Amino acid sequence: MRALDRKLLRDLWNVRSQVLAIALVVSSGIALLVMAQGVFGSLETTRDAYYTRYAFADVFAGAKRVPNWVEERIAAIPGVRQVQTRVVVSVSLDVPGVTDPVNGRLISLPDRGRPALNDVALRRGRFLDPDRAEEALVGERFAEAHGLDLGDRLFAVINGRRQPLEIVGVALSPEFVYGIGPGELVPDPKHFGFLWMTRRHLATAFEMEGGFNDVALTLADRSPSLERAAIVELDAILDPYGGLGAIPRADQTSNWYLQNELTQLENMGLLVPLIFIAVATFLLNVVLRRTVAVQREQIAALKALGYSNLRLGVHYVQWAVVVVALGALLGIGAGLLLAEAMLGLYMEYFRFPLLIYNVSASSILIAVGVSLVAATVGALGAVRSVVSLPPAEAMRPAAPETFRVSLFERLGARRWLSQPARMVLRNLSRRPVRAGLSIVGIAFAGAIMVVGSAMMDSMDELLEVQFNIIQRQDLSVSFFEPVERSAVHELAALSGVLQVEPTNGIAARLRSGHLQKQTAIQALAPDARLQRVVDVDYRAIRLDRPGLVLSTLLAEQLRVEPGDTLMVEIMEDGRPVREVVLTDTVDDLLGVTAYMEQESLRRLVRRDDTISGAMLKIDSLAEERLFGLLKAMPAVAGVTLRSAALENIQTYMLDNMSMMMSVNLLFAVIIAFGVIYNTARISLSETSRELASLRVIGFTRGEISSILLGELGILTVASIPLGLLLGYGMIAAVMSAFESELFRLPVVVDPNTFLVSAATVLGSMAVSAWTVRRKLHDLDLVAVLKTRE
Amino acid sequence: MHAAIATGAAGKPARPAPVFAMKGVTKVYVMGEVEVYALRGVDLELHEGEFTVLLGPSGSGKSTLLNILGGLDRPTAGRVTYREGDLSEAGERALTRYRRRHVGFVFQFYNLIPSLTARENVALVTEIAGDPLAPEDALALVGLKYRLDHFPSQMSGGEQQRVAIARAIAKRPDVLLCDEPTGALDISTGIAVLGALERVNSELGTTTAVITHNAAISGMADRVISLADGQITSDVRNATKQPAATIEW
Repeated sequence: MRALDRKLLRDLWNVRSQVLAIALVVSSGIALLVMAQGVFGSLETTRDAYYTRYAFADVFAGAKRVPNWVEERIAAIPGVRQVQTRVVVSVSLDVPGVTDPVNGRLISLPDRGRPALNDVALRRGRFLDPDRAEEALVGERFAEAHGLDLGDRLFAVINGRRQPLEIVGVALSPEFVYGIGPGELVPDPKHFGFLWMTRRHLATAFEMEGGFNDVALTLADRSPSLERAAIVELDAILDPYGGLGAIPRADQTSNWYLQNELTQLENMGLLVPLIFIAVATFLLNVVLRRTVAVQREQIAALKALGYSNLRLGVHYVQWAVVVVALGALLGIGAGLLLAEAMLGLYMEYFRFPLLIYNVSASSILIAVGVSLVAATVGALGAVRSVVSLPPAEAMRPAAPETFRVSLFERLGARRWLSQPARMVLRNLSRRPVRAGLSIVGIAFAGAIMVVGSAMMDSMDELLEVQFNIIQRQDLSVSFFEPVERSAVHELAALSGVLQVEPTNGIAARLRSGHLQKQTAIQALAPDARLQRVVDVDYRAIRLDRPGLVLSTLLAEQLRVEPGDTLMVEIMEDGRPVREVVLTDTVDDLLGVTAYMEQESLRRLVRRDDTISGAMLKIDSLAEERLFGLLKAMPAVAGVTLRSAALENIQTYMLDNMSMMMSVNLLFAVIIAFGVIYNTARISLSETSRELASLRVIGFTRGEISSILLGELGILTVASIPLGLLLGYGMIAAVMSAFESELFRLPVVVDPNTFLVSAATVLGSMAVSAWTVRRKLHDLDLVAVLKTRE
Repeated sequence: MHAAIATGAAGKPARPAPVFAMKGVTKVYVMGEVEVYALRGVDLELHEGEFTVLLGPSGSGKSTLLNILGGLDRPTAGRVTYREGDLSEAGERALTRYRRRHVGFVFQFYNLIPSLTARENVALVTEIAGDPLAPEDALALVGLKYRLDHFPSQMSGGEQQRVAIARAIAKRPDVLLCDEPTGALDISTGIAVLGALERVNSELGTTTAVITHNAAISGMADRVISLADGQITSDVRNATKQPAATIEW
């Protein structure tokens, strides 16, 4: 090893705790990046492999009832490669020992052989025996949630009749990676499940013999033009059979959620690591500047011995490289571990039969490369001033630092300040850029904390609005087919039912010019109380005018404003198209919806006074008996409990967020400690001589500590409001990036979130201060006086 | 014992008892695996109002001696008393209090606080002292009446050293300890500094000890003590004191 390299290692060892603190900041950035990239890459690769291996379809469509011979016409659509027709029905399920309402979807599998599209992955057991009517495969999460095993039985309630089902296998499907039921945000396997039955037996049970009500197909290629053309043709073919409108793969529910998640992961992998790398660069620069200043005479001596500027420059750049390398090593390791933990969490909600780890090496290399370049730039800036000096000049001590009376004192505060207080102020104001950057650095720590917790606050707010202000029913009932309005009275007559409100929804395609959007129009009574339309200030909007009310986001997508006329294509028999005026828009938070007053909708659809479901307020004591009664009603397709939905979402959030919160807390502490500790060590190094002089003339340890820590305290306290502000800005940016058709998170920051953020920063400062104070106690009074700096 | 140090300044005996008394003081530094004897059984008394020069080459132990007198260091063996208080046994807090109340230090490299002006550097001490001089008076005593609001970086070395002297005497210390006060200065500024020390000693009657390797300075002392190799080699009283202004080297 060359002498200069030995010097490098020993210099680094001398400031090892600072080196470690900076390396940890670097490693946090790299760990976040590796984690996000690792989860993103693995999920994407896994998804693609799953879709390919199990033949996930390109286009999906539902209809009322289509005769089997139509399949040939569908197959003849130009560009269609494969067609899979199925029978799919929604049922209410009866799981032994479960009193809560459970809904499910039964999907047909071909009588013989594997389905050409949307194949199932068998996890346990065996495939169905076509000769046995009662056999079923059940989705893995549903089986787990209810502890179902092979050979167990449950019942599908079909037309009021309990059809027994025997579980012979547990399966997964690419269609239900994110397996949510209708109206759910988060999979709730306790209350909703997917089951597969042989086509013949399912068709018999639902009077669907000789026909199908669901079709999926793949295309020769996935070009948008071919996809659009195929959808138009498919819609035309299914039209006479109650076609509900075909959707491309991108809009398929499970795939849509998965894609949303992937996009979020991809974005997350960029911004935050950059913050860490920027902070690390700043710290490296400060520490190196100090090192170089202390080693000024050594550098001069080395130059006198014949070392070139380049060699010396490289020497100090190596310094930075070692720190980044250490950080990269730690970061990659931690990132891979975090990625695995995150994937584990994802696998709980996104189900795949296989998992392919894929951490893109190039993205890691880029992260390390960016850190290295940034660190080198930081190092060069520090070294340049010294290597450019002629050796003879560099060997003399640097001129004493020039100080000025600080602005604060000139404004009149001087007379109130003790000499130590003046020292603190002047030390800070002598290097305003450094003080400013330190404040910004610490502020980022606070901001990261704010962002972490504010996500939770926003979600809480969203749930509060959705489940306490908008939806106030205890349970909702949906029917297989629209039923007469008198059903409301039947429901109201059930004992334990306190209040009933009808709901009515139709699938529709809204069109404005060339823009169109498939959605559902919800009909509400003008005086609806159990489900309401609520504006951005959470005030209920009365639907008393004929016409449509749209979510603001939906109106924006269609580029329409109140007063404009929309074409509404009703996805029911004959798919009639009507003109409707947009009367209002509403800034709602969840989903994109179209609302209409129920009487206007009825006139629009021109059908009898029917309802498609009902909202119920019930007496909780009568709950269990009521579930039984509802399930036994032939018209009832499903019953959904509001409390169960809420609880399920909260569990999901807690699972996801608590991990993110701990990761955030850890990183915020690292960044706060990294900045504060380094600032403290640098000022200690710069002022140790002064502090020792003060000790000699009789200042106590406490008094000199307060000078050093006063500087830290000012920086930290100044950073807190900035951190809160930065955090608020970041959370607003994150929320608007998160804005999707799924939900718009309100920017809400609980005061506690600010408190936690400030407390984290102050706590980090306390730890740094405590660490540095111990160094102060070890000041060598004699040595410091015998040497010039 | 702590109380003795604290109250030591109060009672001034009629007959000059020694301010400092050293008995068999030995100081050993352990440098890695080597033991270095800085002082080897030194006996010494310093008296009230005396201007003493401790003369010796580097490595003779004179700085160690001064550091022990100033409460910056403790002897390995032997006993050091300041008036009635025992410095060799005093704890960290007691030594800090001792330095704070009784000792003024002047160093070779001034050790001023660069972020404070001349006046503020002196105020640093007067703010924590019991009955200090006004910073302006202390600075006037060393001839710096007109440089009150200059920062160290705006002053020459000699001026900085005189600020250091003003800072040392502003608390009216019982003893003034100076470690090579002219070591970093040229002759003319050095003489101005020595003049300031002379004036403080005669006008305030402060017991003063100056260590130096510069024999020329010994002319202005009441008493000259020479050290070599950790031991006192001579202890001479000057019959007549030479004014600082006439010193040459």
